[in-house]
Amino acid sequence: MKSSAPPYKNSIPPPNKENWVTKNPFAEFKTFTTSTPDLPMDQIVQSTEAVMDRIRWGYEKLLEEEAKELVWMVQYNTIIKAYEVAEKYVKELHYTAEDIEDFCFALENTQRIPYLIPGPAGIYISALCNYAKEEEIVLKLSELKTEINLVGFRLPKGKRLMIEGDTGDFTGIGLEGGELVVDGNAKNWTGAGMRGGKILIKKNIGLHTGEWMMGGEIYVGGRVRGLGNIVEGKVYEREKLLYPGKVRYPNVYY
Amino acid sequence: MEEQNLQSIIEELWPKLKKKHLYPEIPIPKVREIPEQEKGGPEEDEDVGLEMKQKQLTINGAFVSQMKDKMSGKRVVEALLDHGITHYTFCPWDFHTHLRLYAAAKKVVGDKELAKQVSNHFIDVIADTHCVKKRFTEIPELHRNLKKGTVEEVIAFLYQKIWGMDLGIQPSKMGVKGHTDIVRRLARIPYLDRSRWGESIQKFARTLKPLLIEEQKEQGAQGGKGERNPQGEHDLNHYSSEEIDQGLRDYARQTLALSEFKDVVEDFSDELRGAGYGTEGGMGRGQGNPIDADVLFYMKLAQNYSIPIKKFPLEEKGSLHPHSHCPWEIGAPFQDVDIWTSFGKIMPGITQIWTKREGKGRGKIEGTPDCLIVIDSSGSMINPRKSLSYAVLGAACATNAYLHHDSKVAVYNFSDAPMGGKNILNYTDRREDIYRVLCKYFGGGTALDLEDLVPLIQGKTKLDLFIITDMKITNLEALIGFFGQIQNRVTAVHIGDNPYAARFEKAVERRKNISIYTVKRTEDIPQIVLGRIRDYFNPNRTKKS
Repeated sequence: MKSSAPPYKNSIPPPNKENWVTKNPFAEFKTFTTSTPDLPMDQIVQSTEAVMDRIRWGYEKLLEEEAKELVWMVQYNTIIKAYEVAEKYVKELHYTAEDIEDFCFALENTQRIPYLIPGPAGIYISALCNYAKEEEIVLKLSELKTEINLVGFRLPKGKRLMIEGDTGDFTGIGLEGGELVVDGNAKNWTGAGMRGGKILIKKNIGLHTGEWMMGGEIYVGGRVRGLGNIVEGKVYEREKLLYPGKVRYPNVYY
Repeated sequence: MEEQNLQSIIEELWPKLKKKHLYPEIPIPKVREIPEQEKGGPEEDEDVGLEMKQKQLTINGAFVSQMKDKMSGKRVVEALLDHGITHYTFCPWDFHTHLRLYAAAKKVVGDKELAKQVSNHFIDVIADTHCVKKRFTEIPELHRNLKKGTVEEVIAFLYQKIWGMDLGIQPSKMGVKGHTDIVRRLARIPYLDRSRWGESIQKFARTLKPLLIEEQKEQGAQGGKGERNPQGEHDLNHYSSEEIDQGLRDYARQTLALSEFKDVVEDFSDELRGAGYGTEGGMGRGQGNPIDADVLFYMKLAQNYSIPIKKFPLEEKGSLHPHSHCPWEIGAPFQDVDIWTSFGKIMPGITQIWTKREGKGRGKIEGTPDCLIVIDSSGSMINPRKSLSYAVLGAACATNAYLHHDSKVAVYNFSDAPMGGKNILNYTDRREDIYRVLCKYFGGGTALDLEDLVPLIQGKTKLDLFIITDMKITNLEALIGFFGQIQNRVTAVHIGDNPYAARFEKAVERRKNISIYTVKRTEDIPQIVLGRIRDYFNPNRTKKS
């Protein structure tokens, strides 16, 4: 015999249905409050991230404008032009020396910065150093795998930039009276075209050192692989005056 | 402090702590029992408050007693347990994360001991910061009262900066030592962002490295070991054997880099050996043989891939059936008596019994035959002990599949076999022996000596063959001819595409018992089906066609 009522449906309502109260199964947790206080760390990390985002943005803009094909040739004009573009973006930023250091390491992180082109990267870092508020900047880059070129470009008078680790080619070119200390090795063309100031390389240095330098001093703690055509200025090797002097000729390998 | 008193404190605190940490699956902590001989004399190890072993947290009564002048026992216990639980619920969470953090730190500091110290400090900073951020905890108070060395002082100063709490460290004192610079850099790290722990620990290591080296030198000069971590050491004791297995598996899969895996395994070799690795089994349980990191890498990596095997109907499995009569004798069983021909009598000379024989019909039970793995280790193949070899990985996956089905595996590892460049392992189910032969690399020319294969195949009516090579074999024609004669199921895997592989494929394309696969990436390995036959294998039908 078929039943008219649909199966499993109780047609008789419970007598006191209107008095039912919905019970929260998680009532036990009512007293439990997950207080998540804002720690100073949150503020520090947040502001660091914000600054880093803007620094990265500036670098990407520089690449967009100066290295469209992701190729960048080191020439007098290209360096000057790239620096002008870098200056434009850097001037608007507020950052510290630690931000510059973080940016150097971020360059090696391909997830965050897709393109590391040593030339523009070095110019951008130089601009960051030159426009930093601190007079003395210490960059601990000894764990950096890449040697960044063009670091210390146009370092102005009154600034001291100290780098822990090795640097690439064109270190301290066009120095404008600042003091650049590299606690490591530097490659070729170091101090090229510098007008004044002091470069101290604690270990060895490559070829064409001081090419077309117009003034200032280069001190090398290790060995100088080769001098460039120096116009004016001094180069010391292990506290011994190398230029001006009679023993060395441009790019003599020894 | 009385052990019972401490246990009652734990029992009182435990429900609250469990709720606070959202009910972690951790057993109720214990109090470390002080041996009888230690009770009278000075208490040892009172500088370590917490011990963690396979999810079991153990509070050191001596440590709590030592702290009682500064903090109540209840608060010390709560702080220690908050810290310990957070290791299981947030950082490092599992063995794989621990290994990853260690490996990242090692890349920066380059030294095993320093890397362990860096990763331990980093894990502690994350755990404590997570607790302070998310839960009401006594951890800051504990840090205020803990005895501190140079590094601990810097880390406490870091806490002061990032938690915004006074932990009793004078900034002026830090400034004199030149540590403010370090703390400023450390404070910029996003400790609670799990996705960035890899880069964060590298920055942490870079910043802390000079300080740790200095401390290491001081300790070396004093000829002693450093101070132990009062919140508990972070070693492999934290993890169960299963967690270690899983961690190694995940780490092998994620890195896919033999050298990195090898580095980490060798650094943890003492601990791994203590946990039972080093012999047969898993890579094995039990003490004895040294850990072969290369073998362990392929073993763990292969466990991430599962290759199916087509089962095979085993023949001659018919049941016994009555076949003929023979006279019954006294003492012979009654159940086989044929009552019809015995005329209902039990009498020697008259009574007959049935003699039974096995039926000839094919059984329905399917099984997996043994397998002969032929692996090429010539110069054109990758050296499996230098970088990831897909050939060894593929063969390892096949090995796992056959051993999983209780079959045995033989290995023929060849390079220039006629000149002696070969290694033969007879049928065995000893996984480690098989892997050792698979990982052997000759690096010479490539020629098979088919006569070597004959003894391995002879007498084996049902046998699968698995060959993995780049097919650049000098006597490829002989191999093709050999495969043309045999009826066994053959799974041929070639690494990459080349004309030799195309030649082989063309030559055996009509053979239905030979399946060919190409492996160019690790993702290709799970596509292999062992013992696949394109049409159901029927010898009679093949003959007709």
